[in-house]
Amino acid sequence: MKFSLNPITAKKLRRFRQIRRGFVSFTILAVLIGLSLIAEVLVNSRALIVRFEGKWYFPTYGAIIPGRTFGLDYDYATNFRELQARLEKEPERGWVLMPPVPYDPIENCYPGEFFRPRAPSFAERHFLGTDQLNRDVLARVVYGFRNALIFAGCYIVLTYLIGVSLGCSMGYFGGRLDLFGQRLIEIWSQVPFFFVVIIVASIVSGLGGMNLGWLLGVVVLFSWTSITWYMRSVTYKEKARDYVHAAEVIGAGNTRIIFSHVLPNVISTLVTFAPFSVAAAISALTALDFLGYGLPPPTPSWGELLRQGTSNLSAPWIVASAFGALMLVLVLVTFIGEAVREAFDPKKFTIYR
Amino acid sequence: MADAPILEVRNLVTAFDTDAGQVIAVDGVSFQCHRGRTLGIVGESGCGKSVTALSIMRLLPQPMGRILGGEILFDGRDLAQATPEQMYQVRGGKIGMIFQEPMTALNPVHTIGRQLAEVFLLHKTRDRAEALRLAIEMLKHVGIPSPEVRVGEYPHQLSGGMRQRVVIAMALACRPQLVIADEPTTALDVTIQAQILDLMQQLQAELGMSIMLITHDLGVIAEMCDDVVVMYGGRIAESGPVEAIFENPSHPYTRGLLDSIPRLGGQRKSRLRIIDGMVPALKDMPPGCRFQNRCPFAVDRCRKDQPAIEQVAPGHAVACHRWREVVAGAAVSATS
Repeated sequence: MKFSLNPITAKKLRRFRQIRRGFVSFTILAVLIGLSLIAEVLVNSRALIVRFEGKWYFPTYGAIIPGRTFGLDYDYATNFRELQARLEKEPERGWVLMPPVPYDPIENCYPGEFFRPRAPSFAERHFLGTDQLNRDVLARVVYGFRNALIFAGCYIVLTYLIGVSLGCSMGYFGGRLDLFGQRLIEIWSQVPFFFVVIIVASIVSGLGGMNLGWLLGVVVLFSWTSITWYMRSVTYKEKARDYVHAAEVIGAGNTRIIFSHVLPNVISTLVTFAPFSVAAAISALTALDFLGYGLPPPTPSWGELLRQGTSNLSAPWIVASAFGALMLVLVLVTFIGEAVREAFDPKKFTIYR
Repeated sequence: MADAPILEVRNLVTAFDTDAGQVIAVDGVSFQCHRGRTLGIVGESGCGKSVTALSIMRLLPQPMGRILGGEILFDGRDLAQATPEQMYQVRGGKIGMIFQEPMTALNPVHTIGRQLAEVFLLHKTRDRAEALRLAIEMLKHVGIPSPEVRVGEYPHQLSGGMRQRVVIAMALACRPQLVIADEPTTALDVTIQAQILDLMQQLQAELGMSIMLITHDLGVIAEMCDDVVVMYGGRIAESGPVEAIFENPSHPYTRGLLDSIPRLGGQRKSRLRIIDGMVPALKDMPPGCRFQNRCPFAVDRCRKDQPAIEQVAPGHAVACHRWREVVAGAAVSATS
């Protein structure tokens, strides 16, 4: 059978494209995500290309290149900005091409100096200034965005995996599983989320430190309930449909009915939840980082930037960058979510139009 | 044995557990469905027709519905005792089922070709291309024009009659020995109804299957069936060959049903005859005969004793204490 989109799905996609605000937001966000995936090429303290004494070097990816390779007097990773400055004086030995933003998110750019936030400067290529530890704010915003995306992606996959499998079994098989599952969700959703996260975070940091896995685990532990609840009710509803009976009547087993009859019918509504889940995940991560219970320093994150910014209001570029980035992404995601919801609204596809 | 019935139901008792306690929906129903013949089950809403069908397919809503007793002998095997794995083989393979609502009996997200091919994949072949080829053949069989195009379409692109043809194709795909049709024409226009019924008869003649037709439309029964079972309140009121039931209705309920059909020759704008009263709820059925509160023939005995099944004629049975008076009364009213 050749691959072809269900005409209804095709229509939904067409409708989504017609909703300008959502589609433009989607394009912008897609570009931003694409750029963040190649962030090493755009924002990095490693050079893109080094031409040194007749040899080519591409230090962006791969192992660090010790300073001696370029005739410097140290064995640790080359400081390419220094190398660039040096080679500009002796152009016959070679040259260095740096990324547009030549800073790393975790390096303290002026190690000898007294740490202070530096104002944005095009000359120094700190386009959004530096934070209180002299780290480039733009670099931290970009890599913080990537961390938030990774977090949101894993969050969605995990919550949907748990929610769909548990919710589907509860709705489909019913009986005791359903009864106890419902009570468990009711009780579990009453547990205050932030308290538990704070408690778990303090225990975990005693055990050896918070990391993405732990944080994800804790957040997912409190987020699977809503999608499970939703999946349970739609499966329950879907199970009573005639085509499910029809599938039973032709001799199809439970697995087949769930995967080929129930799930495809609820997938379109699940899609409409996804953008809002992304927004929820990003806000949760930022909130936890802001409170200091998120990813450990020096991981770049927006919540951590916000915290620095609010305690250094004399350097408004820090808080403005973090807030601006957060706002932009959340607004884009929400616009996309609204557009998806509208495009997938079943009422638009009735024959009474 | 060629004339052994394909399906024999003996004393089937099916119950539902509800919040108000156990409710017996089908109470001691027995009937036979012969090879190559059509059995009609008729009765009003809630009389247990559909529950009987679901019991045979073992598709009662779980965990509320249960078969409490009786035997469902299909081709000599008792389906009431069959394991779920055995039932997967029976459903679709040996017994097909046609649903009332062709609008909802097809999954909106799959092409009809895929849904039809599913039957073949479950019972006949493992090869997808072969299954699709069989699906196209089956669509042609049920009279769908240009089936090669239609297999790639989705249910919402077909009309109601077409969809019912697809549903019939799905039920008949594996040449089952018995097809249970649960009000197959109720949701269709009258003209389409006639086409669908014709199609079913034609396919029955070709494939030699038996049909168990569940309906509340006596017109459909007269058109289609060889034998009839009239159900009331979870029990059989009357059963027999279709001619006997229509010519010599021996149960007051059957008579009531036949009297309430409008007739072309009758007086115009006269009120239709109705059966007074309501079916009592299943959980507070009175002792004795279940039709007593609506029956013009009811006497004290009907309120105490459950009527036994009596033979009116060979093959024609009725469960009524006063069937002789009913038959005599029918004769009187016919002459008057």
